[in-house]
Parts: sequence; structure tokens; C-alpha cells
Amino acid sequence: MTQFILKRLMSGVVVLFGLSVFTFMLIHFIPGDPVRIMLGQRATVEQIEALREELGLNKPLVSQYVSYASGLIQGDLGTSLKTGRPVSTEIAERFPATAKMAVASLGVAVIVGVGLGVIAARFKDTFIDGMIMMFSTLGMALPGFWLGLLVILVFSVHLGWFPIAGGTGLLDIVLPALTLGTLMATALSRLTRAGMVEILSNDYIRTARAKGMGERIILLRHAFRNVMIPIVAVIGLEFAGLLGGAVIVEQVFNWPGIGTLAIQAISSRDFPMIQGTTLFIGAIYVVVVIVIDVLYALLDPRINFSAKREGA
Amino acid sequence: MSEINKAVTVRSMWRKERQLPRFELLGKIMQRKKAKYSFLMMLGIIVIGIIGPWIAPHDPTKTYYEAFMQGPSKQFWLGTDAIGRDILSRLLYGTRVTLTAAVMASAMTFVVGTLIGVTSAYIGGFFDNLIMRIMDVLLALPGIVLALAIVAALGPSQENAMIAIGIASIPGFSILVRGAALSIKESGYVEASRSIGSSNWWIIINQLIPNIANVLIVYTTMFIGGAILSTSALGFIGLGAQPPTPEWGTMLNEGKDYLREAWWLATFPGIAITVVVFTVYMLGDALRDIFDPKA
Repeated sequence: MTQFILKRLMSGVVVLFGLSVFTFMLIHFIPGDPVRIMLGQRATVEQIEALREELGLNKPLVSQYVSYASGLIQGDLGTSLKTGRPVSTEIAERFPATAKMAVASLGVAVIVGVGLGVIAARFKDTFIDGMIMMFSTLGMALPGFWLGLLVILVFSVHLGWFPIAGGTGLLDIVLPALTLGTLMATALSRLTRAGMVEILSNDYIRTARAKGMGERIILLRHAFRNVMIPIVAVIGLEFAGLLGGAVIVEQVFNWPGIGTLAIQAISSRDFPMIQGTTLFIGAIYVVVVIVIDVLYALLDPRINFSAKREGA
Repeated sequence: MSEINKAVTVRSMWRKERQLPRFELLGKIMQRKKAKYSFLMMLGIIVIGIIGPWIAPHDPTKTYYEAFMQGPSKQFWLGTDAIGRDILSRLLYGTRVTLTAAVMASAMTFVVGTLIGVTSAYIGGFFDNLIMRIMDVLLALPGIVLALAIVAALGPSQENAMIAIGIASIPGFSILVRGAALSIKESGYVEASRSIGSSNWWIIINQLIPNIANVLIVYTTMFIGGAILSTSALGFIGLGAQPPTPEWGTMLNEGKDYLREAWWLATFPGIAITVVVFTVYMLGDALRDIFDPKA
């Protein structure tokens, strides 16, 4: 068990190292002189030289990376070129909004997605099932930002039920969470349906029906509990992704999270901020996935570690 | 009587000719309802992409000064935008822009992703391990974030968006291809081929790739759908095609500030994107059913 956790942590460290190399190299992918591009056309030679010195671009590549990485370890993601504040501070300020939205969207996704999946499996191969599957395919084809715009158009502009965009209050979160949640629900409903259909074909379900048990109890107590394990795993992955910010949907609702921060940074060519947000989004995903893996291993009694230990 | 016989023979010959292996896939597509309709619809969309500029009623970049933000009317079927341009014409032109971008990006993903996936699976060992760890790193970032990071470095433009989306899809694609290639590599005929002294490249090109061709077709179709979504997403946040290019995502971006005044601006381009992506996904789904009836 400990070995599994250690192994998982090690692979996480490797991925984080790779991520830091990627974000570090980002600035070197820029065609032409990165400093000139960051500062724009009207920068003076002194300004350019000063920034080059500040970013350490005069030093050899390896020593640049070493100082970048040692900064990262101390939690220093650099300084925003636009605001002059530490990148880590700005990310920390934006994170609560993103986390709030992640939780709310996940709630919508789980209720709608799992609910529809169970219903579709219950009414397999009927009109209802067809409609739900149609909805889920359509959902995959829907661009998130357009769904967001439609939702604003209907619920804010025409019905006036919700504020249009900008705040972060309880009322403001409804529409973005609905948008993101619906998009995520489409994949979740397919997964739930597939799992339920498989389990409902088992002998013990037939036995339960044969002894006259109610369909609802069979569905919820016998079948659903067994589908929950793979579903929870997928939900965990989705949540890990959401915590990095829903880049595009945040933009539609003007939600002050990590996603909008990243896009603002790209628009203003604020490279330390671009590197910082990209690294943060990747790192939080990696960390959350490891935490989920470990928790999962601890909670699911069927995962057997002895085999792995023997192999080692 | 002989006339009839002749006719029957000719007809059966023609039938046989129709079932040449080259048209086998087409035949299978035509036999299935879902495959048939999504295929025909895709064909229609491609035709619109090609002839769009000729059937467009107006110039997509021309400003009609007497018609700012007008709703759908006889002259402008889908209305006009904030600076008096015809939405329908822009949509028709945009079909080509979007399809080109998505197909080019997916072509890039296909070539590089297949190469990485197949060689990684075939060579195995340390090389495979290294490549897969690199892919793990890139997969920690959502595709759109990876694409954004690349666009950030290269600068916002239609071409760079295309390149970024193409690169950003490579990790996911190559991992899928690697999985498919691994199962072929383990098969008896590859081993037999190696034992009679076939070169590695010969095996890769003549045995591995042809045998995963079906899988490649399905994945590529699915990735084209994703590429269309990403292209329009980048356009929407202003980091893809730049105005006045009539790209669908860019059009939505221009329309989002006028939700209150002009619903049609933010509606029709979205419908266009959804319809095209939906068609592509349905086609991909149908192809998967044809190639792999068990799944």
C-alpha cells in the first residue's frame, strides 16, 4: 500500500517536472525576440535590456531553468508584467471563484448526468432512452461558449431571472454552473447508462426481479450502487479538470477565475502570468488526480496491492 | 428472352463492379441509416464549404450602411451584424474557413500522432516509456489550455490557432494509436514477418498501419469534430481568426455584446457550429459501428 502511494507520488513529481520544463520553454518558443514582443513596438532599448536582465534571458538556458525551478519550489511564479504583482498572489486571489464554480458545476453535472443515465438505462431502447442519448450526443457537439450565450439570452435577457454577468454571488453562479454542468453531464450520462445496462443484465438482477422486488429498489439498491465506483472515478477526473478553471465558459460569464486570468494574460502578452496559470492548471490537475487515486485505493477494498508488492 | 438474360447479366456485372473493395466502405455506409444520413449531411456541408462563396447572396465583408443590426428579412435572410454585414453570407464563407482550419489541424495531428503512436508501440522499451511520460505531461493540461499556451507563444492568428490545435491534439491521438498498434504488434503475423527478415519500416508501413487504418479513420473523424470546436473557441476569445474573417467563433464573439439588441447575431453561428460538429460525431460513431460491430 505504502509502496503504491510512493510510486504514485513519484510519477506525479515526474509529471510536475515535465510541466515546469514545458512552461519554462514556452517563452523560448516565441518566434523573434520575446522581450520585444512582450513590451510592444514602442519600448526603448533600455527598457528591453532591463526586462531581459530581469527575466534572466541573458544567461545560458540551463541556468535559466535552474533559477526558474528553484523559484517554483519556493512558490515564486514570477511577477506579472502588467500589474507588477506576484503571479502567485493573483492566482491565489482568483482561485476561490474558480473553486466555487467547480463545485457548483459538478453538482449540476452529477445530478443531471447520473440521473439521466439511470433513467436511460431503465427505459433502454425506448423513446425516452433515444431522447436522452440524442441529448448527450448533441451536448458533445455544443460549443460551451455558445451554450453560455444562449443561456444568458434566455434567462437573463428575456426572462430577467438572473443577472447578466460580472458578479460572483449566489445568483450569479447559477447560469455558469448550469452551462458547464450540462456539458459535463452529457458524457456522464453515457457512462452511467453503459454501466447500468451492463449490470442490469446480470443474473442477480433477474433473481431480484423474479422474487418480485420493486423495480425502483432493484435499480437504486442493486444496480446503481455497483455502477457508482467507476462513475465516482470519472467525476473525480472532471473535478480535477474543473479546478483549473473552465477557460472558455469563464470568459463568457466574465467569471473572475483562473480561466479569465489566463486569457487576459495571453491577450496582453504577459508571459510570466501565462506560464504561471498554465503551470497552475496542470499542477492542480496532477495533484488532485493523485489524491483521488490514493483515496480510491484506500476506500475500495477490491483493489489488491499484494500482487504489486510481490512483483516488486 | 435472350435480351432479358443479357440485361440481367449486365446488371449483375454492374453490381459486382460496384462492390469493388474500394467502394466497400461506401456500400456499408449506404446500408445503414445513421451512417447514410450523417455521411450525406457531411457531404452537403463540404459542398457548401466549396461553393459557399458563389451562393452567398452578399459580400461577407461589405457594410450595408442602410442596414445596421437588422433582424432576419427578405433581403438579409439571417439579419445583419453591428456593422451592417450579411450574416448568411458570412456563415457561408465561414464554412470554408472553419472546415479548412479543422481539417488542416487534424491532418497534422493524424500524421504526427500516428508516427509517434506507432513507433512508440513498435520500438517499446525505454523509448516508449519516455514518449509516454512526455504525453502524460501534456495531457495534464486540458486540450484547450495547451492550445492557448501555444497560441500565446506564436501570437494570435488563424494559422497559429490551426497549428496550436493540431499540436494540442497530438498527445491524446498518439496514445490512442499506440494502444491500437500494440495489439497488432503482438499478433502472430508480425512476428512471422520479422522472423523471415522483414525490416522494421516494412512491417510498420505494410502491416501495422494498414491494420489500424480503421481505428485511425474513426479517431481522425472524432478529432476533426473536436478541432472544429477548438477553432471556434479560439476565435470566440479573439485568439483565432482575426476580424473581418468570417469565422463562426469570431462571429459569436462579435455578437456577444449585442445579446439584448440582436439575438440573431449570437444564435446562427452557434447553430452552424453545432450542426457541423454533431454531423461529424455522428459519422464517427457510425464508422465505429461499421468497423467494430461489437463495441
